[in-house]
Amino acid sequence: MNHAREGMSAASEHHHTGSGPVVWVAIIAVTCLLLLVFQKVLWLVVPFLLALILYYFLYPAVRALIYRGMSRDAASSVVTLAFLVLIAVAGIALMPKIASQAAQWQDTVDRYVQGGAKLLDSSLRAMEGSWPTLERARLADTVAARLKHGAGNVSDHIEPVALGIMAWTPSLLLAPFLAFFFLRDGRRFKRFLGAAVPNAFFERTLYLLHEIDRTARAYFQGLINLTILDTLTLAAGLWLLGIPGPLALGLICAVLAWVPYVGSILGGLLVVLVAATDFPGDPSMAYWAIGLFVLVRLLDDFLYMPMTIGKSLELHPLITVLMIFAGGAVAGISGLMLVLPVLGVVMVIGETIGIIVSDPRLMARHRYARALRQQHASADL
Amino acid sequence: MVKLFGSQKSSPRLERLHGLSLFVNLTPAELRIVDGLLHERSYLAGEVIFDEGEEGQAIYIIASGEVLISRQDQGDVERASPVGANGLPRRRQGDSGRVAQLGPGIFFGELALLDNSPRSAQARAATACQLIIFFRDDFVSLLDTHARIASKISRQLACHLGARMRVMAQAMGNHQHAV
Repeated sequence: MNHAREGMSAASEHHHTGSGPVVWVAIIAVTCLLLLVFQKVLWLVVPFLLALILYYFLYPAVRALIYRGMSRDAASSVVTLAFLVLIAVAGIALMPKIASQAAQWQDTVDRYVQGGAKLLDSSLRAMEGSWPTLERARLADTVAARLKHGAGNVSDHIEPVALGIMAWTPSLLLAPFLAFFFLRDGRRFKRFLGAAVPNAFFERTLYLLHEIDRTARAYFQGLINLTILDTLTLAAGLWLLGIPGPLALGLICAVLAWVPYVGSILGGLLVVLVAATDFPGDPSMAYWAIGLFVLVRLLDDFLYMPMTIGKSLELHPLITVLMIFAGGAVAGISGLMLVLPVLGVVMVIGETIGIIVSDPRLMARHRYARALRQQHASADL
Repeated sequence: MVKLFGSQKSSPRLERLHGLSLFVNLTPAELRIVDGLLHERSYLAGEVIFDEGEEGQAIYIIASGEVLISRQDQGDVERASPVGANGLPRRRQGDSGRVAQLGPGIFFGELALLDNSPRSAQARAATACQLIIFFRDDFVSLLDTHARIASKISRQLACHLGARMRVMAQAMGNHQHAV
């Protein structure tokens, strides 16, 4: 998500040359504070973000119906309903297969974890064979002992994960519900926000709201296209390597990549685990899988990303990395996931306030209008 | 399905919008779509609506009250836009900087709908007024989603600009004739 929210800030750059250090300190402080708060209400924040992605995914269909003369309310209802029906049909179709395999999941996960551990062990022993220093340090034995001690039984981990999924399901069901209202009432919300802005700042603020909307739309629709491209490329590569379930693996990795850095590493690890387990006697398959993953990441950064999200949406890489670390330190995994979208929104708001406050003419107009209103209110007292 | 795509009834608010010169050619269904894009603001007498030189993002339509248009370098009323009973700006002679005073139904700041050039004059509420505001970005998205509506609005805009050019040409002709 890194490239997006930063793009939101580009909107304000039409009007000024850059925010000062005070504004930036305030932006970073508010971002960290919000992450702390959001950590406490993740049940609402995550569905909200998913709803935003769904909103931008469904918006072209709503727009097409409006273009054909349907009212916004009707178009939003029809598209959301069609999406829910599609999901329900897919769920019903897949349910028997999922139910039949559910019992084997624990064994499957255990098998893949063991496969990964074996690959790591054989790689470390091969390295020990090449470097006597590592052999003397008994690196492979140490890592194997720690893995055995730290990982424990897979069933110990599956139960909390299953419970977590069950606990999250109701709040995740909020996502399509929220997306429907975004589609139907998005414009009304913009008007509602605009009504709260004083006259002197109205035009400037509304322009920025438009820019945020436009950039967010470009980002989220780009993100969806990027996910499709990543999925197809990974699936094609995995299929060529002969790894089972290439499409599902590709999709999981592409969606995991939404979480900056950490998601990509997890995706890569997943592919390697599958390759190492399904081809236990052939470690080269796992290395090919790593190679494929690196290739896709390079394609992603240098070809797909400029094609979909666009280079113009990038924030300074140093700020991106620093804020990811800050997000992780302040709010853990949720901080890593949320830091960039939150930073993007806070940046736009902070920069807008910075522009308005530092514009003496706008402030003078606002003071004058306020004085006029006070005078008007007390005219007959 | 017919109802989903069919036309809907008018309302007093839509009738009021229909009375505005910019939207005079729109049907009730089209007005309802445009209505979703409009903002409404109240200004007190003397309040600045926008400044000369400011980047324009929206067109303003006067729903009620009057708005004064003036320019910093406009000491000479010869450059002022004339007015008529047909809704064109009224001339107020003798006020330095004053270009025109506009009444209900008239729109101003229309060039902002076409480009993002700086405002050529200041707009200030002459009396307490209610303004309807239409943003350029909304107009541009209307061109994509509802080209028919956008073309009707564009036509009204073109008529307005044409009338103003004719008035300016006439004023220049009179001036040269007097010289």
